[in-house]
Amino acid sequence: MAISDPNPADEAAATPEDAVESDPTAVATPDTAWWRRYLEEHVAHVAVIALLAAYPLLHGALLASPVASEARMLLPNVETMTAVLYFGLFAMSFDFISGYTGYLSFGHAVFYGTGAYVVILAANGKLPLVPHTTPFMLLLLLGGVFAVLLALGIGVVSFRLTGVYFAMITLGFSQVAYVLVRDWGYLASSPRDGPFVVGPEGAMAPVFSVGVPFVDSLALDIGVLTGDSVVLGPLSLGTTEVSFYMVGIVVLVCYLLLQRVIHSPFGRVLIAIRENEERARAVGYDTFRYKLIAFAISGFFAAIAGGLFAGFRRSASPDNAFFFLVTGDALLASIIGGFGTLAGPLYGRLLDETIREFLSKEGTGGGLLPYLREVLPESILTVDIAGLTVQGAIETFLNGHGSLYLGLLFIGFVLFVPGGVLGYVRERLGGTVAQRVASRIRGGD
Amino acid sequence: MSLLQVDDIHTYYGESHILEGVSLSVAAGEVIALIGRNGVGKTTTLRSVLQLTAPRSGSITYRGEELVGKRTHEVAELGVGWIPEERRVFSQLSVAENVRVATPKGGDVDAALELAYETFPALSERRDADAGALSGGQQQMLAIARGLVGDNDVLLIDEPSEGLAPQIVADVAEAVQRAAEEATILLVEQNLPLAMDLADRFYLLDNGQVVEDGAATRGVTDDDRIRRYLSA
Amino acid sequence: MTGTVPVVELAGAGVVGPFPLVSYLDALAQFLRPSTLAGVFVRGLSKAALYVMIASGLTLVFGLMGVLNFAHGSLTMVGAYLGGLVMVLSVTAATGTALRFGLFFVAVLVTFGGLVALESAVEVSLIRPLYDRPPIYQILLTFGVTLVLDELVRIVTQFYGLQPISEWQEALSTKPELLTETFRLGSTTVSALSLFEILFGVVTVAAVWTFLTRTRYGLVIRAGSEDSEMTEALGIDVRRVFATVFALGTGIAGVAGALLMWDPVWGASVPLAADTLLPAFVVVIVGGLGTFRGTVVAALLVGMVDAVTTWWFVNAVEFSGLPEIFIFLILVVTLVVRPQGLFGVAEVGGH
Repeated sequence: MAISDPNPADEAAATPEDAVESDPTAVATPDTAWWRRYLEEHVAHVAVIALLAAYPLLHGALLASPVASEARMLLPNVETMTAVLYFGLFAMSFDFISGYTGYLSFGHAVFYGTGAYVVILAANGKLPLVPHTTPFMLLLLLGGVFAVLLALGIGVVSFRLTGVYFAMITLGFSQVAYVLVRDWGYLASSPRDGPFVVGPEGAMAPVFSVGVPFVDSLALDIGVLTGDSVVLGPLSLGTTEVSFYMVGIVVLVCYLLLQRVIHSPFGRVLIAIRENEERARAVGYDTFRYKLIAFAISGFFAAIAGGLFAGFRRSASPDNAFFFLVTGDALLASIIGGFGTLAGPLYGRLLDETIREFLSKEGTGGGLLPYLREVLPESILTVDIAGLTVQGAIETFLNGHGSLYLGLLFIGFVLFVPGGVLGYVRERLGGTVAQRVASRIRGGD
Repeated sequence: MSLLQVDDIHTYYGESHILEGVSLSVAAGEVIALIGRNGVGKTTTLRSVLQLTAPRSGSITYRGEELVGKRTHEVAELGVGWIPEERRVFSQLSVAENVRVATPKGGDVDAALELAYETFPALSERRDADAGALSGGQQQMLAIARGLVGDNDVLLIDEPSEGLAPQIVADVAEAVQRAAEEATILLVEQNLPLAMDLADRFYLLDNGQVVEDGAATRGVTDDDRIRRYLSA
Repeated sequence: MTGTVPVVELAGAGVVGPFPLVSYLDALAQFLRPSTLAGVFVRGLSKAALYVMIASGLTLVFGLMGVLNFAHGSLTMVGAYLGGLVMVLSVTAATGTALRFGLFFVAVLVTFGGLVALESAVEVSLIRPLYDRPPIYQILLTFGVTLVLDELVRIVTQFYGLQPISEWQEALSTKPELLTETFRLGSTTVSALSLFEILFGVVTVAAVWTFLTRTRYGLVIRAGSEDSEMTEALGIDVRRVFATVFALGTGIAGVAGALLMWDPVWGASVPLAADTLLPAFVVVIVGGLGTFRGTVVAALLVGMVDAVTTWWFVNAVEFSGLPEIFIFLILVVTLVVRPQGLFGVAEVGGH
């Protein structure tokens, strides 16, 4: 199926070269302050990163302020934000292949699951030749390598097909993997529930640290229960906050790498394939090889995302790592955030997780119901409307049913904002956000 | 007054501008040949009339009624038939079913079948065969028969002789002539002598515009200007 | 989704001994006995009957508009609940066998009608505005509809105190006594429910087949599936035909759901949506997108493979995912060897 680009003009214009050309002063003095130019081009990125970096502190500050209840209700907690980051990376990797080449990789969860399972199985001493004490960073890479091999194997067979057939064959492969993982007793004591990090028999469960492998002072442990906490002067960061930052750093590096690829000549060939594969082939590109390599890259980063997920949660299950609906979640994030925009899926996932937490059943970390319980008097909550109390109505129709509202939101986006959040913003600005901000700063158009 | 009037239409495929202001008029009973090299917009002109590829601007009227903005099936219901390039018979349907599906809703199917078999006896012998199993020439007859039974007053015929052996081309030419007894015809044809034999008048298209038109005579075939337009 | 209820008891074959090869050979000998084969064959037919019912609506819709309907499984699931609701409301412990069958047919009609209505609403309000966009948007939209439908059913079932993730036992228990029995067939046993399902499958296939080949509407659908542009140019409003096909296909899915509601291996539950969607995809792709004949043959193939691998899992191989793995392997192998499916036309669905 040809996935038409909602705003075809922006990709070609998003290259650094074009940005330079559109700025006469930069052309006149090409060698002055390249770093300044670079920063200008990345103001939007820096702003988003700064905002994300400040999030735990802001969130903490707001929870201590007079609007604490409102903040707790509306803002996702830091643990959720960590999930946004690693799943956002997975959704980006999905978008990298599906949104940019137009090949819907409907079995993408197989790479995410591979990354997750490699980390946990290695830590449990279940991967032959891999010591259970192998540093987490190396396990991430190892998972990535496995995913690359898997992607090459699946891709060689699958890229002979297009459209629905491609989507279906990748789905088929990933479902085979799902059933294998679900029913193979070697992987976990209860393979249906999936493995937990317990360490090999008779040994301690390893902790996972993000940073430079083998250098303790340059790495911090992640995990809500097992992670490090840090005191920096007046700042005190708990395990969750530390995990957020460490996962965030890995995700940021991955994003920048993916972005480099997209804006390279290689990336432009991918877009050409999406726009018109026959023409790309006629111009002399071996499109099969490009697609295959793109698929491998995409699988690699999906596995990194899965590894982060497993490292942070210290468990994974066939249903939250390998099942086809995990790919569905990535699709959801991509469509809402902006298909074929790379950064978009992260925002899509943010919206997704925020809504789910807002309507969460337990009300842990905020959400609607605990807030109402706090603010509204008991008499209103128990008012009886047609046999249902207000509280009962909320519990029945809202809480734990985030999927319903997400589904409606998703339908709304498909109908009215097919470009997604970022696609829409770009259309409005007439270019990528980074590019428009840069030209504003330079006093351009 | 002309039956079909095309007025300054501009048609695009995606961003590529295919027709850059084509105008032509077809009077009732005429056979008009649309000639020109590959890719100059002949097929697109036919597709524009049918609203399969809707023009972005310009007007197309049929019996004075505006077609631009209508849906394809509405245009077809008004009496515009299409006999497309490569024939596009329904290969998994039998010959009889192909005719049947082309008969207007509530129309007399038996009369339609009779008309088709009478016009093209070769089809009668293969009535229960899958259309995909027919020879190229037979498929072309079936495609024309489909146009005839549809109660059409205008038939848009696209490259009927394409890919057929010379002796079959003669059959197809005869088929087009038989169709011309029933309907007005706008014919796209690469084979210039054939086109001139069949047509009353011609329009020559180049780069999405009409560059020449006139009476279709054998003389046209030898006209240097026209030959230059047609050589690659 | 796959039967894990051992029906054929074979002494000793269930234990993998110290010499697996010997025990596999042993199992093979057991398997090749005519009575075993007959039993597996009947179970394969009953699975095929369910698969063909789940998949035929999907294939008709795809053939005509190139829309792979992700909501199909959810609609089947809604059908299961709707059918179950009619039964639970009307059947009491005292209801006799004949009346239960009668009420079941009422339930089938209600489900069919209910789903046609539900689908028409979805088509008019959501899918119609997307006709001028590439099919991917319609596919995405059906994906969104799935999320909404599944969650709505979850809300409703929870509201009435049902567990959405486990089978609806009350609905299961409205099944007539007769269908819970097993018959001896030679030296093997066959459940009456299997025969009932086969009957339903045969009736469905016959009805759809007659509709497609004997009516003008069916003719138009077949023409439209092969070349919708040409069909449109013959004066036929393909979109309107599509709306009808969408409604009919959904109705059939609903009827399949009503039938599954009585089958203890499936049962009415929210996960039924995904459990039926995936095999339906497999059957439709393997048969060839848009060909009903292909769908019937593929359903038979998948049903038989499912029955055979289920037998091997129950009797010789200690791996419960065996049937599912094989079903997805059929999908993968078909796409590798013959991407257009058994009876498909090469161009359909590529773009």
